[in-house]
Amino acid sequence: MSKITRRAFIKTSAVASSALAVGGLLPKQSKAKSKIERYDEKMTHYDKGKTAFTYCEMCFWNCGVVAHIRDGVVHKLEGNRCNPNNMGHLCAKGNSGIMSLYDPNRLKYPMIRTGKRGEGKFKKATWEEAFDYIGEKLKGIINKYGEKSVASFLHGTGEEPFIILSHAIGTPNVIIPAYSQCMGSREIGWVLTYGTGVSGHSTFDFKNSKYIISFGRNLLGALQVREAEDVTEALARGAKLVYCDPRFSETAAKAHRWLPVKPGSDLALILGLIHVLIRDQLVNMEFVKKYCYGFGELAEYVKQFTPEWAYQETGIDIKTIEAIAWEFAKYAPNVVAVPPRRFSRYGNDTQTSRGIAILNALVGNWGVPGGIWERSKYAYIVANYNRSDCDIKEIEFRLPKEDEPPKPKAERADGAGTLFPLAPKGLGRENGIIEATKNENPYPIKAWLLYGTNPIGSSSIGKNKLVEEVIPNLDLIVDMDIIPNDISMYADVVLPESVYLERYDLPHIQKDAHPFIAIREPAVKPLFDTKGAWDIAKGIAERLGHGKYFEKSVEERIEEVIAQLPKDKQKELKEKGVVIYEGVEPFPQAAGKELEFKTPSKKIELYSTKLAKLYKEKGDDYYPLPKYKSAVQPREKDVYRLLFGRVPMHTHARTQNNKMLAEIYPENEVWINEEEAKRLGFDEHDKAVLYSVSTKIESEPIKVKPTSRIRKDCIFIAHGFGHISKFLDTAYKKGASDSYLCSDEVDSVSGAAAFNNAFVKIKRVRS
Amino acid sequence: MDAKKRKHRYAMVIVQDRCIGCMACYSACKFEWEVPISKEMFRTEVLEIEQKDVDGKPKVAFMPILCNHCDNAPCVEVCPTGASYKREEDGIVLIEPSMCIGCKACMEACPYNARYLNEELTVVDKCTFCLPRISNGLEPACVATCVGEARNFGDLNDKNSKVYKLLKDAKKVRRLQEDKGTLPNVYYVSMND
Repeated sequence: MSKITRRAFIKTSAVASSALAVGGLLPKQSKAKSKIERYDEKMTHYDKGKTAFTYCEMCFWNCGVVAHIRDGVVHKLEGNRCNPNNMGHLCAKGNSGIMSLYDPNRLKYPMIRTGKRGEGKFKKATWEEAFDYIGEKLKGIINKYGEKSVASFLHGTGEEPFIILSHAIGTPNVIIPAYSQCMGSREIGWVLTYGTGVSGHSTFDFKNSKYIISFGRNLLGALQVREAEDVTEALARGAKLVYCDPRFSETAAKAHRWLPVKPGSDLALILGLIHVLIRDQLVNMEFVKKYCYGFGELAEYVKQFTPEWAYQETGIDIKTIEAIAWEFAKYAPNVVAVPPRRFSRYGNDTQTSRGIAILNALVGNWGVPGGIWERSKYAYIVANYNRSDCDIKEIEFRLPKEDEPPKPKAERADGAGTLFPLAPKGLGRENGIIEATKNENPYPIKAWLLYGTNPIGSSSIGKNKLVEEVIPNLDLIVDMDIIPNDISMYADVVLPESVYLERYDLPHIQKDAHPFIAIREPAVKPLFDTKGAWDIAKGIAERLGHGKYFEKSVEERIEEVIAQLPKDKQKELKEKGVVIYEGVEPFPQAAGKELEFKTPSKKIELYSTKLAKLYKEKGDDYYPLPKYKSAVQPREKDVYRLLFGRVPMHTHARTQNNKMLAEIYPENEVWINEEEAKRLGFDEHDKAVLYSVSTKIESEPIKVKPTSRIRKDCIFIAHGFGHISKFLDTAYKKGASDSYLCSDEVDSVSGAAAFNNAFVKIKRVRS
Repeated sequence: MDAKKRKHRYAMVIVQDRCIGCMACYSACKFEWEVPISKEMFRTEVLEIEQKDVDGKPKVAFMPILCNHCDNAPCVEVCPTGASYKREEDGIVLIEPSMCIGCKACMEACPYNARYLNEELTVVDKCTFCLPRISNGLEPACVATCVGEARNFGDLNDKNSKVYKLLKDAKKVRRLQEDKGTLPNVYYVSMND
């Protein structure tokens, strides 16, 4: 009999190793004392040590953190109670930032490739050598192919210096992968309707909401701390939650209704709901008449989308559709219909986002508690410094400041702003750049500067033959990261960034219902020969003769930002790490104010005037009302649509080597409906490989999880696993990666990716 | 000593509806107390319990577990050296590591499997209700970090405490394995019907 683990034992009893210590990994302090003595001392003389304020970088959402340092070692991270993003709480990722700081596999010094790409052979270099190498290479590439042939892929707090660097070089090809890989279609749909986006720190007032419909946003599992806090609070106050997803996620676990829609049919359900709202006269007509454009066209258009029709498309029964529409109207306006964050699913995503936006508009929840709030800028500091929160209005990252290089005017290689006129030029399309690099069309892309991004883990790499046909076209790949991730294996130069706990960065200034500023100061000095993003960009810029844009140090720039605050606020910021600006009105409608929208008609556009123009040139996909296009279906038998998503304890493909997070969730499993598993002869713990029917690529072996928590026509894996970097001792080859298997299709309106039009077979692994 | 006569009656009240299974508590606790990196070693954790309702639809509950600091603690009774003991003033069950011989009798006696052998210290270890933190006016690490505010800690002798109020207002209250007569001090409550 196999040994019953403690965990398994508890699981069965409660309801009715080689140990690697946290302490053991840390620098060898206090070795003189025995471990028991240290334990005793901790019990009797509790000393949290020194503190430093920072904001979290374990995911993108920058919760407030207080780092505690004893004997020069960060031993505990706590949430900053003053920070609205987390109110003192940290998730497992936030708590585990310590293990990213003390990850033994961290990048420790610059490296230059010596072997073949992918072999992982490098020589240690000084920063001077690495910058010289990059400078020479870039100069050669720019001379031969022009400035435009340099593309930067950026993700994280250090995006800004690389945007300045790219502009100084003169290339328009700056890519913020979050657009095409994640939120692009959502934001375009929202901007077309409301004139503003949902934004990263979403504008939904969950806490005061009485009825929440989520179209696949895994609010409780994905995990953005404030969202999870607010939804939990709403549920505790009695709010109802409807969750629409082919998979029964953490959010489904708390939902009053789980709607396992047929994958890709969300818009049919939404149109059915809109049909019932209009049919049964449940629309807030006072609001719609005053603030919405095109209700007549919408009403006429949705007549055809009866609940009977929606049932045929979605598999959700008629009574349920009607009941949800009635309940949504009953609790209006303190209700929200929530789009997914990663809306790169089925290629009909922008129109689906439009549908969700319209569903909200019809009940008049804009600017009302429990509905959609209006964000304000942090009034003390008007200029933007950081990336602007995935905010894609009309639609720049931010305008260059006086002392910065102007934005290059050349056409982008990825079709953003041209082939895809709505895709913002300031964010670009990662999928488009990969394609342009592969085909050298519209012009060659010869250098990739990658900051905090790992295309091997995050893009459709199987379909695109990233390793075989894209990377060989590049004369230079510079990878800047904190760990040797998958793409590092193919990089020519690898530059180590300091971990967020080791560095100063510009304050985080968040546009919000209650906008605020939060500071980042280092908890410890860099452990290794690493630099912050600003100094890395500066080193490269100097080699290209653009050093003048980087003359100030990070500390001087921070001082300049903070100097704009009133004196008493400066003091408060030093003491609390955060200062909130309270003089705003997030609920203007409730406060009796007139609403304004930044659309062409100045109203909420149920009928999009912008799409109406494009529709004439570009055809049906740009239909000005939310046009339903059913998702691509498989042609073969016994194949499953591949879905992927997050688990609460990992971020993207970048935390799997964190020893604490890997302990909690070491590898992904493939979720398959239990009846399908039985039919195919799979038991729990069996291993399988996933086989792409279009590319014939097989995944690494992955454990099977037969479950009732997923529909029969799809399978699910957690994103970010199956790392190929042999330098990641913990994460190497753990589980399977979706990026080898997902589709390379495109939403034709936003130009963002459509990953989930991929179909796989699940094959047994014989052990 | 009668629990009600103690100076403090410390308890954890877990609003189970609010637990989302994110494991923040698990990691916060392990960092706070330098619990070795190993799946077998932890002071607290969250179980994900997958069931089906009568219609065969999936049902998932998240259940945080930890030492119950029982008033009638079987671990204390079986400890041959007196290393495991219950504090009279507040009911917290502790282990004195210098007296622990690592015989694991307590681990077998505990019906909650709340104890583990710390292979670094070679003594048995478990949750202390974060005694050093609460003595310094802080919440236990798991409570402070809890994203859903599912975990609440306090003194049931204090009628103004959050835990007292939660127990008073709860629609459902239960403790684990009460039939074993352990008189646990961890409560699982539901505030909604």
